[in-house]
Amino acid sequence: MSKLISDQEFATFREFFYRKTGIKFEDTKRYFVDKRLLERVRETGNDTFREYFTTLRFQASGEELQHLTNLLTVNETYFMREDYQFDCLVKSILPEICKTHDRSKPIRIWCIPSSSGEEPYSIAMWLLERWPGINQWDVELIASDIDTGILNTARQGLYSERSIRLIPPSWKTRYFSRVGLQYQLCDDLRSAVEFTHVNLSNVADVRRYRPIDVIFCRNLLIYFDDVSRKAAAEAMFDVMAPGAFICLGHSESMGRISPLFKVRKFPGAIVYQKPLEES
Amino acid sequence: MALVKRTHDDNLPSEQQAGTPKTLEELQQQLQGSHPLERRQAAQDIVDHEGATALLLAQLERETSAVVRQVILTSLTRIGDRDAVFGLAECLRSEDARLRNDAIEAMKEMPDQMAEIVEELLADDDPDVRIFTVNILESLRHPHVEQWLIDVLDHDDHLNVVCTALDLMGEVGTEAAIPALQRVGSRYEDEAYVQFAADMALKRIQSSAE
Amino acid sequence: MKRVLIIDDASTIRMYNRSILEAGGYQVEEAVNGMEGLEKALETPFDLYIVDINMPKLDGYGFLQQLRAESIDQAPAMMVSTEAAGRDKEIAYLSGANLYLVKPTKPDELIAYARLLMGEPTQ
Ligand SMILES: C[S@@+](CC[C@H](N)C(=O)[O-])C[C@H]1O[C@@H](n2cnc3c(N)ncnc32)[C@H](O)[C@@H]1O
Repeated sequence: MSKLISDQEFATFREFFYRKTGIKFEDTKRYFVDKRLLERVRETGNDTFREYFTTLRFQASGEELQHLTNLLTVNETYFMREDYQFDCLVKSILPEICKTHDRSKPIRIWCIPSSSGEEPYSIAMWLLERWPGINQWDVELIASDIDTGILNTARQGLYSERSIRLIPPSWKTRYFSRVGLQYQLCDDLRSAVEFTHVNLSNVADVRRYRPIDVIFCRNLLIYFDDVSRKAAAEAMFDVMAPGAFICLGHSESMGRISPLFKVRKFPGAIVYQKPLEES
Repeated sequence: MALVKRTHDDNLPSEQQAGTPKTLEELQQQLQGSHPLERRQAAQDIVDHEGATALLLAQLERETSAVVRQVILTSLTRIGDRDAVFGLAECLRSEDARLRNDAIEAMKEMPDQMAEIVEELLADDDPDVRIFTVNILESLRHPHVEQWLIDVLDHDDHLNVVCTALDLMGEVGTEAAIPALQRVGSRYEDEAYVQFAADMALKRIQSSAE
Repeated sequence: MKRVLIIDDASTIRMYNRSILEAGGYQVEEAVNGMEGLEKALETPFDLYIVDINMPKLDGYGFLQQLRAESIDQAPAMMVSTEAAGRDKEIAYLSGANLYLVKPTKPDELIAYARLLMGEPTQ
């Protein structure tokens, strides 16, 4: 019996994990969550879920919570995903930002969440290949995730055939070299992106990144509930420079999250903008 | 000009302080600060403090910035205690439509605390307060929602309150609501919308019962 | 076929209006608040907007003000409210509404005004 997790224990755990990360598990995810929890109960040498949960909650270092978080996040991503937004970035968003941006300061783009790096590296390639402004402007690319394991993967830059399948062939030859069955991203690009550990549900984490000019926050908020989504949008609002932009995943709509941003239409994409002045 | 790494020395002073948690008194001060960003950060940081609700509600009342107001409401929702709901219920009487709408949205996220005052609000003299309360029930995940709505259909004598309740019954109604839906249909025979909504709710309930 | 966007946070009202307008031969889309309405309107403009006033996120006034300010979209908009009172009506017109109706609307009334606003024969 002790090898199972009761409904009550699951509910308590769900609430705890939600408070920490903003991620809310539906009942349909029960099997997925139980399986990983029981795996951790066993691997940490605990006998019962209850014992394990005590460690999880009160451990000062938060190490076990991080470990579990890494197991429970969905990291699915690939190069050139929803690339109409990258096209919009180079054709519309950046040109608009450049009109008013201080020339002496870099433009700062933030991918949160980055997962294993495909998204920020795709953006790096788009900037180098498709944005003439890269010759006049400095751009800082920051990429963050709550999952420390996936951040290491991202820094390594070693990808499968499947993950890079949508990259144009000429870009592939320019930026990757083959290593066995995998593809190694070149050092220039790897060093162009800074990977950092951030929990979007923790405002103190988020505040360190001000001022940001463009945020890509794609395919994360779908795992949050309404209140955490709204809180995350508000945290991002405050690190954005006036007039900065935010791009969401294609199934995510700011219209259902927060009224703080203006809806902007560019050819090919709807994005959201922080107003230049506060109302 | 190129892709560059971040230079770490351009952090704003306030960010370095972020590590030191503030006391409730400090946050209270900051909550009334002159800069909206300052007030928002206080409204976010105060969430974990005992006694935050009263301070947030007080600030909500005098807050002039729409953005700060949103953040205050998010924090009240996250705290979600009894006082927060009572304070928000007061906003339903506000002349300011945006504040009302925002309060309604926040209250939808607090099922347990809302349950305590639903009946009182549904008996309010002001039909608008009753309409707003039914609006809140719309996404309130609480087992009594259907019964509250049945009572509105049977007893409320204001057409718009009844319509709002009907609207929702179409989504949450079960077989228990059938008699009340039939009664309200005959109570408002000349109202096309009542007929439509009652019919639709009945059809939906009957088809899901099959 | 002309396209109509219904913006209302109440789902039964959306369905009610939809059924009337579809029967009248229009293609209908829905949005649950003003901001979602704006997203849809900017994506592809509509021939008529039917807009509720009290909604979360962005209310009906806000929707119209932004729609009118941000784009060249001058398509007619009908505002519907539970308030017969004067104040709402006044703000509705100031925000750019072409017509103000009181809820609940009658089917023939709704369709007649829709036709009128889109400049179609009412018979
Ligand atoms: C499905 S991936 C999306 C990756 C990429 N943005 C894309 O669209 O392809 C979701 C990522 O969100 C991360 N994540 C989950 N909760 C988070 C949180 N609270 N803060 C930051 N990242 C989080 C997960 O670790 C995971 O890598």
